[in-house]
Amino acid sequence: MTLTVALSKGKLLAGSEALFRRAGLPFPEGEGRRLVVSHGSLRFLFVKDMDVPTYVEYGVADCGVAGRDVLLESRSDVYEPLDLCFGRCRLVVARLRGSGFDPHGASTVRVATKYPAVTAKHFLERGVSAEVVRLAGSVEIAPGLGLADCIVDVVETGRTLEENGLEIVEDVAGSSARLIVNRASYHARRDDVACLLETLRRALP
Amino acid sequence: MSGSHRLIQVPPGVQCFVGDEARRRRAIEDRVLTVFEGWDYEEIIPPLFDYADVFAGEALSPKTYSFVGRDGSLLALRPDFTSLLAKIAAGRLAQRPAPIRLYYSGEVLRYEPPKAGRQSELYQMGLEHLGGGRHAADVEVLAIAAECLEALGIDGWVLALGHVGVFGGLVSGCGLSGVDVGALRDRVESKDSSGVRAVLGSGGVPADVTDAVVRLTTLAGDASVLEEAGRALSFCSAAREAVDELSAVVGTLGEAGLGAHLAVDLGEVRGLDYYTGLVFRIYAPGLGFEVGGGGRYDTLLGRFGRPMPAVGFMLGLDRVALLLERQGKPGAPPPLAEAVGGRRVGAALAQARARRAAGARVRFGNGEGA
Repeated sequence: MTLTVALSKGKLLAGSEALFRRAGLPFPEGEGRRLVVSHGSLRFLFVKDMDVPTYVEYGVADCGVAGRDVLLESRSDVYEPLDLCFGRCRLVVARLRGSGFDPHGASTVRVATKYPAVTAKHFLERGVSAEVVRLAGSVEIAPGLGLADCIVDVVETGRTLEENGLEIVEDVAGSSARLIVNRASYHARRDDVACLLETLRRALP
Repeated sequence: MSGSHRLIQVPPGVQCFVGDEARRRRAIEDRVLTVFEGWDYEEIIPPLFDYADVFAGEALSPKTYSFVGRDGSLLALRPDFTSLLAKIAAGRLAQRPAPIRLYYSGEVLRYEPPKAGRQSELYQMGLEHLGGGRHAADVEVLAIAAECLEALGIDGWVLALGHVGVFGGLVSGCGLSGVDVGALRDRVESKDSSGVRAVLGSGGVPADVTDAVVRLTTLAGDASVLEEAGRALSFCSAAREAVDELSAVVGTLGEAGLGAHLAVDLGEVRGLDYYTGLVFRIYAPGLGFEVGGGGRYDTLLGRFGRPMPAVGFMLGLDRVALLLERQGKPGAPPPLAEAVGGRRVGAALAQARARRAAGARVRFGNGEGA
């Protein structure tokens, strides 16, 4: 029986492809804009990175590759049995360089982010009242334009922050790509899932 | 105009079933309740609301619809049946000797956004086995669950069995104090071994305990997992006892011919503050989430003044209906009615009554709207 794998069309795609090829698993090549591709014993869904956990949670895909940052935000009820060790990044709170803005000193912090749930939880747990401004992208420009006091976003190298005049205040969470598995598939399709997990595990660095 | 949308829209979280859908749900309920009756469980129809204290519990109270009664007491719409049944077994049925076998079927209400086949209004069919020997009760309840799935014609169903005493034993008896148990449980539940190591990394936890908790994330599969677990957890007697208890359950169910439908999952640690022993979830291909589940809760009845062990399970009607649809098993076609009518209404009605007495499904009238 075919397993269905949900993959992000975004920044984790190259790492996923490299891992699947290293593991000797089928991976579609040059399929252009097709979003559902069957290849060998696997069927692939190419979706937005924030949607990968949803496809897997509902069982439309048996497994998928999602960043820990996305899993934290979606709070999906899925298994995360493998840390795939690529796509490493950090979720951080950042402010305008030199602004000295202290997110723990203000009565209310206005925070721009693509991660509203993670952001709300982070400040809530620290007893800070936060107003979360939800953006779909280009979060880095929000503090400079006065839309927010600070941002919560992912950083890999820190270049983007630097180029937009921002500096890191504190860490929220670390992240890397995870193999996620639907709970029903894990048990009801145990042999297929266990085989895929083992194949990928052996291909990890 | 303000508020007029309320006369049309359905509030989020509730559903309305008509015709085929309603018929399918009744048919599912019939099959399941017939199995419950067949194992000599008695139906109980508990109240729709009760004092909010009855439902007190960390997991459910934030999801409970509560309101103030006329006399000022805090009331709650039932968010589950188990607490209500425990209260009734300890109170009204106090003189009834154990074991007490009870089943229920009806709605529970939980304040949560509709997601993953879950609404605010859920229809649950379940039973509780109160008192009696633990092992015999555990395997009886699992066998009943199995028969329900067979009676419903579900393909490829799996009972995934765990035991909260495995994780609980490691946490309480083996030097894990000082670690954030909630965060650890969350990572074990997700089978995230690197996350487990991250939580334990800072706590000064002995290496063998850390390794054992990490192992829980992979101790899932067929019955052979239990032998592996017995060896890996031998240093912790509480965890070892839990594994032995689960092994006995798996052994008995295997003897009864259910072995092929069993999975073992020692990373199943949800509901730890409620369950005290066996826990299980029911999965089947076609639906991404469980269709039901249950477990042993030996401390709940003590809250109501009649301490005794108990085990139960429930099936979610909404999810069973969804699963059957996904597995391509539509319900029976709508029954055909015979039209009875005529210009002389009295004579037609008499004929209709005669056909009804003969058991026919009758549509009465002069053919309008047929």
